[in-house]
Amino acid sequence: MRTFAYLSADDVATAVQAISTEPGAKFLGGGTNLVDLMREGVEHPDTVIDITRLPLTGVEELPDGGVRIGALVRNSDLAGDRLIRGRYPMLSQALLTGASAQLRNMATVGGNVLQRTRCAYFYDGTAACNKREPGAGCDAIGGFNRNHAILGTSEDCIATHPSDMCVALAALDAVVEVESVRGKRRIPLVDFHLLPGGTPQVETALEADELITAVELPPSPLAATSRYRKVRDRASYAFALVSVAAALEVADGTVTGVRLALGGVAAKPWRAYEAERVLLGAPATEESFRLAAEAELAPAVGRSQNEFKIELAKRAVVATLRQLLTEGGAA
Amino acid sequence: MSLTPAELTSSVTGGIGTSPQRPDGNLKVRGEFAYASDLWHEDMIWGSTLRSPHPYARIVSIDLTEALEVPGVYAVLTHEDVPGANLYGLEHKDQPVLAVDVVRYQGEAVALVGADHPETATRAMKRIKVEYEVLEPVVDMETAADDTPLHPGGNLVRHVPIRRGGQAPTADVVVTGRYEVGMQDQAFLGPESGLAVPAEDGGVDLYIATQWLHVDQGQVASALGMPLDKVRLTLSGVGGAFGGREDLSMQVHACMLALHTRKPVKMVYNREESFYGHVHRHPAVLHYEHGATNDGKLVYVKARIFLDGGAYASSTGAVVANAATLGVGPYEVDNVTIDCYGVYTNNPPCGAMRGFGAVQAGFAYESQMDKLADALGMDPVDVRIANAMTEGSVMPTGQVVDSAAPVAQLLKLVKDKPLPPVSTTLDLRSMPGGVSNTTHGEGVVRGIGYAVGIKNVCFSEGYDDYSTARVRVQVINGELVALAHTAACEVGQGLVTIMQQIVRTELGVQRVTILPMDTSIGNGGSTSASRQTYVTGGAVKAACAAVRDKLAKLAGGRDLSEVDLVELLGDDVVDETVEWRHRATEPLDPETGQGNAHVQYGFAAHRAVVDVDVELGLVKVVELDCAQDVGNALNPQAVLGQIQGGSAQGLGLAVMEEIQTSGGKVRNPSFTDYLIPTVLDMPPMSIDVLELADPNAPYGVRGVGEPPTISSTPAIVAAIRAATGLALTRVPVRPEHITGT
Amino acid sequence: MIEVVPSEGGVVPAAVEVGLVVNGEARRLVVEPRVTLLDALRERLGLTGAKKGCDHGECGACTVLVDDRRIYSCTTLAVMQEGRRVTTVEGLGTPESPHPVQAAFVEHDGMQCGMCTPGQVVSAVALIAEGHAGSEDEIREWMSGNLCRCAAYPGIVAAVRAAAGGAS
Repeated sequence: MRTFAYLSADDVATAVQAISTEPGAKFLGGGTNLVDLMREGVEHPDTVIDITRLPLTGVEELPDGGVRIGALVRNSDLAGDRLIRGRYPMLSQALLTGASAQLRNMATVGGNVLQRTRCAYFYDGTAACNKREPGAGCDAIGGFNRNHAILGTSEDCIATHPSDMCVALAALDAVVEVESVRGKRRIPLVDFHLLPGGTPQVETALEADELITAVELPPSPLAATSRYRKVRDRASYAFALVSVAAALEVADGTVTGVRLALGGVAAKPWRAYEAERVLLGAPATEESFRLAAEAELAPAVGRSQNEFKIELAKRAVVATLRQLLTEGGAA
Repeated sequence: MSLTPAELTSSVTGGIGTSPQRPDGNLKVRGEFAYASDLWHEDMIWGSTLRSPHPYARIVSIDLTEALEVPGVYAVLTHEDVPGANLYGLEHKDQPVLAVDVVRYQGEAVALVGADHPETATRAMKRIKVEYEVLEPVVDMETAADDTPLHPGGNLVRHVPIRRGGQAPTADVVVTGRYEVGMQDQAFLGPESGLAVPAEDGGVDLYIATQWLHVDQGQVASALGMPLDKVRLTLSGVGGAFGGREDLSMQVHACMLALHTRKPVKMVYNREESFYGHVHRHPAVLHYEHGATNDGKLVYVKARIFLDGGAYASSTGAVVANAATLGVGPYEVDNVTIDCYGVYTNNPPCGAMRGFGAVQAGFAYESQMDKLADALGMDPVDVRIANAMTEGSVMPTGQVVDSAAPVAQLLKLVKDKPLPPVSTTLDLRSMPGGVSNTTHGEGVVRGIGYAVGIKNVCFSEGYDDYSTARVRVQVINGELVALAHTAACEVGQGLVTIMQQIVRTELGVQRVTILPMDTSIGNGGSTSASRQTYVTGGAVKAACAAVRDKLAKLAGGRDLSEVDLVELLGDDVVDETVEWRHRATEPLDPETGQGNAHVQYGFAAHRAVVDVDVELGLVKVVELDCAQDVGNALNPQAVLGQIQGGSAQGLGLAVMEEIQTSGGKVRNPSFTDYLIPTVLDMPPMSIDVLELADPNAPYGVRGVGEPPTISSTPAIVAAIRAATGLALTRVPVRPEHITGT
Repeated sequence: MIEVVPSEGGVVPAAVEVGLVVNGEARRLVVEPRVTLLDALRERLGLTGAKKGCDHGECGACTVLVDDRRIYSCTTLAVMQEGRRVTTVEGLGTPESPHPVQAAFVEHDGMQCGMCTPGQVVSAVALIAEGHAGSEDEIREWMSGNLCRCAAYPGIVAAVRAAAGGAS
C-alpha cells in the first residue's frame, strides 16, 4: 500500500473543508472496500480523511413518514433498525444478505453506496481495465465475465455494481444528500450511479469534494410489503449473480403499485422502470410478471460467460413478484 | 519468540480407541499456536517473489539495476544465483527454482527480493525489468501431447494403460459418457510461509509449514548445492495442507536469500500468491464406456482419461496411476481397457490434492453407474451392489483385494438411513439459497443420489514408503514420561493426538510429550495418501515395542506390569528409534498396467439428499450421509472430523469450487471469486463407521482422510440429476447448468 | 480533533501515534497510517492470534472485537481505531481459566489445523453476545463469515451452541 497523509475529522465542516484543499484526498468510512483497493494499488489517495467519527450515525423518522439515515450508520445497525424493518423490509433484507456479520459491522451506508466493482480485472494491475486506466481496454469483455453486467454496458466496460443495499435504495426512490464547501445538494439514488458509456472511470454523480451525509427514504406504504431476493453461488458471504428488490400492491387482481430494481446486472443498481410500466394496471398474474421481466431485459446483452444471467434475472423477477403476490412481504 | 515449536504435552489421557483432546487444542483456541506465518526473528528481513505474468514466454532479459537501488533492499536474486541444481520436482526434476530462459505458467518464480519490509520488496519488484517474448500457450489437455513441446521429452508426462481380460467385449447394454472435472484448489487457510536462518556452520535452518520435511530437505539441499546435514528443517504450525504443501513453494527461495544476505529471511505468500504458489487438483476430461448384461452385471469398462498436469510434473505420475488403477471404481469387472494420460500444458501446475486421481475417476465412473442404472431401469444402489467388490475381488491391475472391502454393506448402510423430512418450516436457512431469501419452497425439487468410492492408502508402485519414530522413556520429577519424536508432519489431522494415544496404549505411560517435528530424525514420509496413522502410527508402535523390550531386560525377566517403572528406571533413560515399513508393493507393468501396486484400499459411500430450486438453479444439500470402513478407529472423534472435512471438500467440488483459467491465466485467485463452503453450506451428516480390521496394518487401521472426498462429489451431483433430470457431466455444477440458460 | 501527518513523497513513510486499549491494556504505538489493525496487532504488538488468511475480508481468520463488535482487522487501519477497545483471542480467558467459548472449542474439537480458530472463537463470542445463538441454523447463518477449510463446522456449531448454553 502506498503511503498517504492521514486526517481524522470530527465534524462535517472540517471534513469537507479538508477535502476541498486536498484534491487527491479520499474519505474513509468503514474501510472494507477502500482499504482493500489501496492495498491492491487500485486506489492511491495522497490523503485519507477518516470520517468514522462524524456525527452521522442516526436513523430518524421524518415528519412525512420517511426515514433519514446518517451516512455513517453501520450496515448491521441499519439492517436491525426497527423503522427500517417495519417500513422498508426489502432494505433490511438486502443488507443482511450482503457480506458477513463482521463486514456489516464495519461497512457504512455512504461507503456502501460508493463501493466499487469487484471485477477481477479491475483489481488485477496487470490486466487491461478502462475503469482503472482509461483507454487501456477491457479484458473482461473477451475474458472471464460470468459475473459481469448484461444491462447498460458499453464496449468499454461491463463491470457490475456490487451493492445489495443500493438495489433496495433504488427501488425505494432513495435520495442521497451530499455536502461540500459549496453547499448541500440532493441526488436521487437512481441518478447517483452512472452507466459506463465511454467513461467507465466516472462512476457516480458525486463531485470530488463532496461528502455523502445522509440517505433519505420517502414514505412508501407500498414498501412495507417488499422483499429482496439474491441469487448467488454460495448460500451466504458471496456477491449476487442477480438480485431483485421488489414491492407490490394489488387491488382486485390488478397491480396498483410496484417498485422493482435489479442487482448484479449493471454498473448501477438497476431500477426496472420498463417492467414497472408494464405491470402497473396489468392483472397480477404470473404471465404479467413474465411479460414485465421480458420487457425489462429486452435490451440485455450477454457475453461469452454471462448469457445465462438474462434468463436468470427474468426468473428472479417473476419469482419475487409471485412470492409478494402469494405470501406478502413479511421477511 | 522461539522459532522451535512447543513440545506438546496434554494433561488429558487416553489410549487408542478413545478420543482425547488434541494436545495442541488449547494453544490453538488461545491463539498461541505458532504457525509458520507467525514466526519472528529480531533482525530478519522479508523475501518476496517476482512471478511471471505470462503463461508461456521466453525471457529475453532481466535487468535488476533499479531494483537494487531501492533503499532497504538487501538482495535481488535470479537463476544465476541458484547455488546448486536449478531443477527440482517430486517425481521429475523439471521445475527451475527460478526461471532461466522461459516461463511455463503464469506465476512462475523469476526473481527474489530480500528487503527490510514487505512494502520495500514490493517497490523493488516493480523495478525489476523483465523483457518477455510472449508465446502461444498450450492449454488443451486432450491435444497437448501433440502440441508444442514444453519440455525436452515432450508433453506426455505419463501414460498408464490397463489391459485386463478381453479387449473387444460386447454387452447387452452400453452407456457412454464424457465427463469433466474442474481445477480445484486446496485453499488451506494458512498461506505458504517459512523462515530461513543462516547458520554459523554455513548451512541454513528452515522453519516451514510443509507436508514432508525430508523430501523438502533433499530438494533444498540439491538446489543449494549443500550436503543434507547443512540443511535442517523444523516443522512450524501448518494451517492446513490437503496436498498443496507436498511440493516446494518458497523453501529454496528463503534459504537462498538467507545465505546470500546472512540474515534470517521470512517469506509469507498472500492469498493471491498462494493460488500461484502451490499445485492444484488436476482438471480432467474422462471418456467412459460401460457394458453390462441385461441383469446389470458389468461386462466391461473402457476409459480414456486426460489429466492436465500444467507446466510441471509434480506428482502427476502418481495421479495418473491412481486414476487408471482405480478407474473402474470399487466394482468387479473382468474386462478393462483404460488409457490414462497426464500431460504438460501452460496451465497452473497440478499435483496432490486429497483423493488425488481417484476423485476425478470417481466422478466419472459413478456418473456412469447411474447412467447404467437408468438404461437398465434398475435402482442405482442395486446396480452398484450387483457389481460391488468384496474381499478377494481382483482389481483391474490383477491385484487381489486381500482385506475387507465392504462395498455393498457401505451402500446398504447409507441407503437404509431414514430420509430427512421435507422441510415444513419456512426457515429460509433450510432452503436452497439459504439466507439469500430466494425460494420459500416453491419450485423446489428434492433429489437423492448415491455414490461409493475407492482410494489406495499409502504410497504405491514399489515406492520405499516408511516412517521413523523415536520413543524415549525417563523419569522426570518423579513421574514416568514418554517422549515421541518423528519427522511426520502434523497439518491439523491430529497425528500428534494419535501418537500420544499409541504410546499410552503400548507403554502404559500416561504422560506423553510430542517433540517438535524436524529433520534431526529420519524420514517420516509424506502427510498424504491417508498414510500417517498407518505408517508413522506403525513406526511409533514399533518403537514402543523396542522400548518395552529394553525395559523388560532391565526388569530382568519380571513381568513389566508388576514392576514400578519409576523405580526400575531411576536415572536411566530408554531411547529407541525404529524405521518402519508397510509391506512392499510392485510397479505396474508398463504395457498392461498389471501388478500388486497398492498397499491397501479404503472405501466410503455417500447418500446425498438435495433440494434444488429449479427455477433459479440453487442447490441446498439437505443431508450428506456417509458410511466408511476405517479398519480400526484409533480416535473416533478424529475419524468423524476427517469424514466431515473430506465430504465438505467434495461438496465444494460438486457445486462451487473451480479455479477458472483462460489462455493459461488464472481468473479468480481470491476468496471472493473462488468460493469454498461456509458453515451454512455444510449439511448435517449421519456417519456410520465400520471397523473391519486390515490384518496387514498396525491395529488393523485403514486410511481415513481421502475416501470420503471421492464419493461425496458424485453423490451430490447424482442427487441434483435426480431432482432435475439433467445430464450434468461437469463439476462444479453451477446455477446456469441447472437453469439451462 | 484533526491530526495532519505529512506524506513524504510517498516513499519515506510518515508515522502517527495511536493509542489503543488492547485486551484491557492501554497501548501506544507509532505506525504509518497505511498499517492495518491486523498488521499492527501481529507485527507491532506481538499478538499473532489474529491470522492473515486472505488480507481482503474474505475469510474471517483476522476477526477481532472493536468496542465489543466483531470486525475483520485486515480491512481497517490501526490509526482509525484511536482510543477504541480492541479484543483479540489472546484477551479472552487465561491458560488456567479459558473463556467458555475457548473451552467449548476444545471440548467439541471445533478445529483441525486451527488457522481459522482464533477468528472463529472471537466471532462466536460476539455472536453469542448479539443474541444469534438461538438455534444451530442461526449459528450457521451468523458464523458464515468465518471460513474453515478443514470443515470442522459440526464441531464449531456444537461448541458455539454449548458455550451459548444450548443443548450440546
